[in-house]
Amino acid sequence: MFMLTWWNDLDRILRGEATRSGSLKRGSIDVRPGGLTILLVLLAMVYGACMGCFAIFKEEGPSFVQLLASVVKLPALFLLTLAVTFPSLYVFNALVGSRLSITSMLRLLVAAMAVMVAVLASLGPIVAFFSVSTTSYPFMLLLNVLVFTASGTLGMAFLLQTLHRLSLIPPEPPPTSATELVGDQKGGEVAEPPAGALDHSGDQMPSRQVKLIFRCWIVLFALVGSQMGWVLRPFIGTPHRPFSWFRERDSNFFEAVWGALVGLFS
Amino acid sequence: MTGPLRRIDDVLRGGPASRSWWLVLLCGLLYGAVMGSFNGRPGQAAYSASKVPMLLAATTVLGLPSFFVLNTLLGVRADFGAAVRAIVSSQAVLMIVLASLAPLTVFWYASSADYRTAILFNAAMFGVASVGAQGMLRRAYRPLIAKDPKHRWLLGSWLIIYGFIGIQMGWLLRPFIGAPGEPVQFFRPGAWDNAYVFVARLAWNVLIGQ
Repeated sequence: MFMLTWWNDLDRILRGEATRSGSLKRGSIDVRPGGLTILLVLLAMVYGACMGCFAIFKEEGPSFVQLLASVVKLPALFLLTLAVTFPSLYVFNALVGSRLSITSMLRLLVAAMAVMVAVLASLGPIVAFFSVSTTSYPFMLLLNVLVFTASGTLGMAFLLQTLHRLSLIPPEPPPTSATELVGDQKGGEVAEPPAGALDHSGDQMPSRQVKLIFRCWIVLFALVGSQMGWVLRPFIGTPHRPFSWFRERDSNFFEAVWGALVGLFS
Repeated sequence: MTGPLRRIDDVLRGGPASRSWWLVLLCGLLYGAVMGSFNGRPGQAAYSASKVPMLLAATTVLGLPSFFVLNTLLGVRADFGAAVRAIVSSQAVLMIVLASLAPLTVFWYASSADYRTAILFNAAMFGVASVGAQGMLRRAYRPLIAKDPKHRWLLGSWLIIYGFIGIQMGWLLRPFIGAPGEPVQFFRPGAWDNAYVFVARLAWNVLIGQ
């Protein structure tokens, strides 16, 4: 029963209903962050399973532990990345005097993560199909990096766009004398198609510093996220290597991606 | 015009394809059977017949979830039904065009026994059919694009998703034609590999001259 309302929340976020200026009146996204987080974990597990499919069709026999490990690790990847990067975002955000409170910021980030994971899970069947039909490990690595990049880009676009809309909300309701004018404007708005979650709305600039901080944070988030993926590896499972929950500490994500790119051709 | 022909005509002129799905399926089976008849082996023809509709259906099914989320995210969920109808009718047109090209393939097989040119000829037929299907897809998408220009991007993204999956699916479902000398089989053992990796290695070997 709860599940259904959570799905509803996710659906409203994806459709852009939860982030239209009307719904953002109170300066926060109207969703249940707890339920959304559970949903986020479930969807990440689905993608983890798709990713771990590769290990089941290994030459030296299926490795179900690897599948289980991927299912467990993928939600951990997202939650840990958020946990590592959230405090600094909050502190800097408060430092430049943003109006976002800590709960509304957490809601915003959880919503952005939900968008990211929803896109990721929707690409899951494609990844599972390639995992099953491919024996090339470098290809799978690169495909997964590509899928993560695509979903991350969409999730972060959602974050920036919602932040933009949040900063457009006036801090106090307009005075009553202007009600008629507001009514007229609303009448004009109805004719327009409803805005999607990624559409631009209005052309006012938000506080430049807040936007700058979020932009920097997105870069940080991407860097931490990709390196977190490296620390938590193996997700896919290198062929001819025994399963282990974690690998030794060496190298980094970007070196490995480059190595995979070279490995694809040789 | 007789019943089935009228229905196919209707699909080609933009009518709904779902009511005539069995006719469309028949078209796919027909081309597959013709394609697999290269060596005159009925077993291969039967396998190939079932594989052509399977190829198209599986590719579409795998691509739809991400396309759905993409549509939702860009705020055009309300049009998703129309988009899926457009995609389904483009697949139907693909199979009908293939079936109409089947006599040409038969003629080609009758006049040349070379396996390599047979592959190229079939690839060309699929190419022609996908041009037809794309024409239908664009036509069905025109009202959607007029309503919201974002559909243009979505159409492009669908073609990328579909192509990306379709190439690997076609590679996986080999053999369609059946190389002479090889036994009749549904899947080729050892075909469990990746089309893109294969092509990348091929290109690399050509570049460094091995």
